[in-house]
Amino acid sequence: MSSGQSNTFEPLTLIEPFIEKKGGLMPALHALQEHLGYISKESIAELATAFNYSQAEIIDVITFYDDFRTKPIGKNIIRICLAEACQSQNCKKLLKDISSQLNLTLDETNHDSGITLKEVFCLGNCAIGPSVMINETVIGEATTEKIINHLEEDDA
Amino acid sequence: MLHKTISNLIKEESVKIIRNGSWGAYWLEPFIEIEKDGVRTGASYRNIDLTHLKTIEDFFLDFEKKNPFDINEIDFIKNQNRIVFSRIGQQDPLDINYYRATKGYESLITALEIGHQETIDRIKSSGLTGRGGAAFPTGIKMQTVFDQDVSTKYLACNADEGDGGTFSDRLIMESDPFSLIEGMTIAAYAVGASKGYIYLRSEYPLAKDFLSDAIDIALKNNYLGENIQNTDFNFEIELRIGAGSYVCGEETAMMESIEGRRGLVRSKPPLPAINGLFGKPTLINNVVTLATIPALLSDQHSEFSEIGSNKSVGTMPFQLSGNIKNGGLIETRFDITLKEMIENYGSGTKSDKPLHAIQIGGPLGIYLSSNMLNTSLTIESLEELKGSVGHGGIIVFDDSVDMSEQAKFAMEFCVKESCGKCTPCRIGSVRGVEIIERLQKNKASKEDAILLEDLCETLESTSLCAMGGMTPNPIHSIINYFPNELIEK
Ligand SMILES: Cc1cc2nc3c(=O)[nH]c(=O)nc-3n(C[C@H](O)[C@H](O)[C@H](O)COP(=O)(O)O)c2cc1C
Ligand code: SF4
Ligand code: FES
Repeated sequence: MSSGQSNTFEPLTLIEPFIEKKGGLMPALHALQEHLGYISKESIAELATAFNYSQAEIIDVITFYDDFRTKPIGKNIIRICLAEACQSQNCKKLLKDISSQLNLTLDETNHDSGITLKEVFCLGNCAIGPSVMINETVIGEATTEKIINHLEEDDA
Repeated sequence: MLHKTISNLIKEESVKIIRNGSWGAYWLEPFIEIEKDGVRTGASYRNIDLTHLKTIEDFFLDFEKKNPFDINEIDFIKNQNRIVFSRIGQQDPLDINYYRATKGYESLITALEIGHQETIDRIKSSGLTGRGGAAFPTGIKMQTVFDQDVSTKYLACNADEGDGGTFSDRLIMESDPFSLIEGMTIAAYAVGASKGYIYLRSEYPLAKDFLSDAIDIALKNNYLGENIQNTDFNFEIELRIGAGSYVCGEETAMMESIEGRRGLVRSKPPLPAINGLFGKPTLINNVVTLATIPALLSDQHSEFSEIGSNKSVGTMPFQLSGNIKNGGLIETRFDITLKEMIENYGSGTKSDKPLHAIQIGGPLGIYLSSNMLNTSLTIESLEELKGSVGHGGIIVFDDSVDMSEQAKFAMEFCVKESCGKCTPCRIGSVRGVEIIERLQKNKASKEDAILLEDLCETLESTSLCAMGGMTPNPIHSIINYFPNELIEK
């Protein structure tokens, strides 16, 4: 561990509150990802020691869940709902439009714009679909225009 | 956004702004209400920008021009029987004084007075069945947990709400979180648990904020923590966040996830009620099931239990969505027809095109065709059609839908969300997608029709849980109720 230097990131301080908790691994992973944006190699090693798992077991858990990632992604995440209620509201067409507009496919990050596009299955906003979540804001009756406007407002 | 715009306009103290939760009448929302001299009226501000307004008087003038009305008087709200969702939309969801003024926490006090067994008996006699999907009698599950002679027991609230087209859990958590917390506290007291978890899906960040705040407020008011309301009952709630896995809504996969592992389904027995979280007896219930409990220990018990029959007792919060004009939360008796639901509450398709299909009960639920609108929405009536009410989602499609795509999606969803334990579910679903793709090119292929049928049978008979076991349900319904749309006979 590279302690002492400025700007270094210390996984252990983030993990610590969860080590003694029963089943603390999931909240520890969330805390790490919230801080760094992804679960780094260094973090995996720390988690393994702290929770008494092998590194392979930690990776097993990380890869099971769609939310966890081991590589950095964009600053803005657009999640487009592709579940049934949004299907009835043409979410597939919205996905096509937004993909071509932003020059992105699903699970891809555009490093120039800092945007990542992801799919999601239901945002609980089904009565006014199609629905999209930009970071933590849910947008109903979503259109490409609404999404772009929201991204611009966020940037402003 | 609107909240911020209007807040900025308010200069005088005589105007107070309250952020109430959703009424579950989504086509009207954001819905702004003004209460003046005890009279409350509101207007829809859907897709309306107010940033041009300069003063609060400008806003009042604008509001009057919108012909404001009392939302309680519209048919959509008036015709419902809101017992569990009686508080949503009314007030600030975190105002514990409002909660108490509307009989909140009276039921917890009652439970603490009448004791464990009597509390369970009242829940048993109410006829409540689980609202998470499987419709298991709630009181019986509680009895099993209570009967375990073990000192440590847990309660786990299933807030994973993964079914497409469902949002009743979300509404409770964001618009009346204390009803869930009180329900959990009563349930924990009844079975003898002193620790509860809420397993909340990560797609609901707003619900996370409301729940965290509500838990803090309940703690400060001695409704959680140690010696609750001066008794020897202790109970704490910990919020756990999921990570984007549908199968973690299955109760044993949820326990694995809470324990810090992959969400693999466990085989039953042992039942979680006997050997659950961390090897201890655990009561697992859905958000709506738990939020119903306070009403069952109040004078609403008979009102609830006198509605309906068999498993379909009490009110059910249906969630009407998809291609529908007036979508939202409809708490009503089970035995209303699909026609009443779609025409009276929903006012028909949003596109004004002909209705074609309705999916009931989430991704593992069946599709009904437009000539089946007389179907009653009871658990029994849907079971007869080889479907289920599930968590109460009703999704409407107009005639632009391609039913073969919906069949394909059922298999694709299983590919994505299978926990991987059973081969038919993990691999069979991949084959299922391929077979359906071939059928999309040649509907008359007898060979593929038989293969699909065999695959569905295998999934049904060899899957450990309903993910694999019920994936064939939507597909069968498309074959049976939509002739020639997937398979030509
Ligand atoms: C694949 C799958 C997903 C499920 N997802 C949920 C869910 O998101 N929420 C829920 O409450 N129950 C879900 N269930 C049902 C639970 O296993 C369990 O029956 C329920 O939480 C029990 O609570 P109840 O008796 O109050 O309904 C799911 C079941 C399966 C098989
Ligand atoms: S049926 Fe599918 S989801 Fe269920 S246990 Fe088997 S593999 Fe896992
Ligand atoms: S199905 Fe898209 S928000 Fe629920």
